[in-house]
Amino acid sequence: MAELGDRQLVEACELDKIYGEGEAATHALCGVSFDLCKSEFAAVVGQSGSGKSTLLNLLGLLDTPTKGTIRYHEGDASTFTTGKRAGVRNSLIGFVFQSHYLLPEFNVFENVAMPAYIGRSMSDEDIRPRVEQTLAMLGLEGLGHRNAERLSGGQKQRVAIARALINRPALVLADEPTGNLDTVNTNLVYDLFREINKQTGTAFLIVTHDRSIAERTDRVLEISDGRLVLDVRTSDIVGTLA
Amino acid sequence: MRIAWRFLTSSPVQSSLIVAGIAVGIATQIFVGSIIFSLQDSLLVTAIGSAPHITIRAIKESDPVRYTPEMRKILTTDPRIRQGTVAPVRSVPALYGNGKDSASLGLLGGNLKDLEGIYKISANTIAGHASLGSGEIMLGKDFADKFGIKAGDTIALKFQDNRTGSLTVAGIFDLGAAQFNLRNAFVGGDVPRNVLGWSGDEYTQIQLQLDQPYDSIKIANQWAQQLPGISIMEWQRQNRSLLAGLVSQAVSSYMIQGFVLIAVALGIASTLAIAAVQKTRQIGILKAMGLSDREAGLIFLWSAAILGVAGSLGGVVASFALLALFTLAPTPFTITIRPSFVAVSAAIGIVVALLSSIIPIRRTSRLDPIEVIQNG
Repeated sequence: MAELGDRQLVEACELDKIYGEGEAATHALCGVSFDLCKSEFAAVVGQSGSGKSTLLNLLGLLDTPTKGTIRYHEGDASTFTTGKRAGVRNSLIGFVFQSHYLLPEFNVFENVAMPAYIGRSMSDEDIRPRVEQTLAMLGLEGLGHRNAERLSGGQKQRVAIARALINRPALVLADEPTGNLDTVNTNLVYDLFREINKQTGTAFLIVTHDRSIAERTDRVLEISDGRLVLDVRTSDIVGTLA
Repeated sequence: MRIAWRFLTSSPVQSSLIVAGIAVGIATQIFVGSIIFSLQDSLLVTAIGSAPHITIRAIKESDPVRYTPEMRKILTTDPRIRQGTVAPVRSVPALYGNGKDSASLGLLGGNLKDLEGIYKISANTIAGHASLGSGEIMLGKDFADKFGIKAGDTIALKFQDNRTGSLTVAGIFDLGAAQFNLRNAFVGGDVPRNVLGWSGDEYTQIQLQLDQPYDSIKIANQWAQQLPGISIMEWQRQNRSLLAGLVSQAVSSYMIQGFVLIAVALGIASTLAIAAVQKTRQIGILKAMGLSDREAGLIFLWSAAILGVAGSLGGVVASFALLALFTLAPTPFTITIRPSFVAVSAAIGIVVALLSSIIPIRRTSRLDPIEVIQNG
């Protein structure tokens, strides 16, 4: 198996994901192959239940494929121990979910710093300025001491984005990140994603069912019934997405 | 640990209750244990505090045992013997008579200094003074009371072969054992020696005490091999019913403590298990962020350690308070707190708490973050 190229970030090859067994088996993904390059800004679109989130969970090493391989520069994910999977998730990948999943026991600063605490790659002295810088980048300066539960929905999602970025991941996987937000906050979050992508070179793979949002990315992958049916540059299809 | 601490402080009532539960358990253990130990010590002191733990005598009771240099060397160099408690004793029976009444009396003859080590005669003298000079005798309180004898009185005694003698009561002792006080008296070593007609190194028995009274059987067996041809008796064989009582008391105490610990363990385990369920979402998110299975388990190990340490320390403080309250009321024995027992009890509390975290640790270690992500 050839090694990933310098520009490649992750490669998915013939991914199958089957839930259940026998007659109850459901094919969530079927033969999905593609690769994602560093600094790419891409969207995954498709109907509800088409397999978008399953694909994201596989790429994020939260789940394992029934068949096929996922390769990062760290190696074939199928060979990773659970500890290594956790380590790669922590250092290489940032997650943003539809729900913010902030920890109510911790304040904003601690929520954002949590992946850094878990990774232990930085000292507390180094974490503080990193968190403050990230909060400032997301317009959350001065909110570090606030309880995460007391923020508005848009603020909570921005805290979740800050948390995903704190370890300077190479890839952010966002699963319907604006699903719970109003239009204003939705636009704000996508503008932020784009800005971060340009500033830091972090690749983004954003799952969305909103095609107008997908059109604002550079590349669109469409999943239908678990199969990758479209993989194009957005500039080639602007205005054609149904 | 930071996460464990925050999880605990985010549910202050739940955490406080579990700490209180551990504290009550450990306090009960230390309180009950200390009372039982103190009671046992008190009973032991009463029973054998002023009595020999080991008695060496001739196989035939009427024969003397020779306090040879070999025996002296063994008894003076064995570090297990309580210092200054080896007493060579000559004992003879005597009959007391005052013209109206008479009573038998066992005379224990020896040097006051030697006898002091075992019988603490000076400390237990309640009238007159402790002295075993020539022509002097010290009577027990119950004997003196029965016959109206006071310190300074002269009493007449009849010995074997109808020999008689008069001795002056130098003092009256009370060893806390009525039967001993009634039936025994102390005299100088020459009185029984003259009666028995034995030489200077011949004694009825060699009495001694040990630093660890419960080692008496083991030590007696060792000496029996080193000193053949003599009889070595130790207190445990002579006080089987007392020992059985002490053992039963100890067993019941251990059972109480054991059940208390089991109750504490079940309480901690159930509360931590509930906490693990309550924190499933948070653990799942942390795992998604890269927390390993082992680290996820450690959260609950730290939680248990924090609860165990806090509860055990609280229990130690509470037990001291309980024991202090207990001593306000008049008790027939002195309560002593054994630091080693307190330390072991606190350590047991912590270990029980740690063991109780096994179930939540296993649960959190096995938790798949995808379950939390998919279920929202």
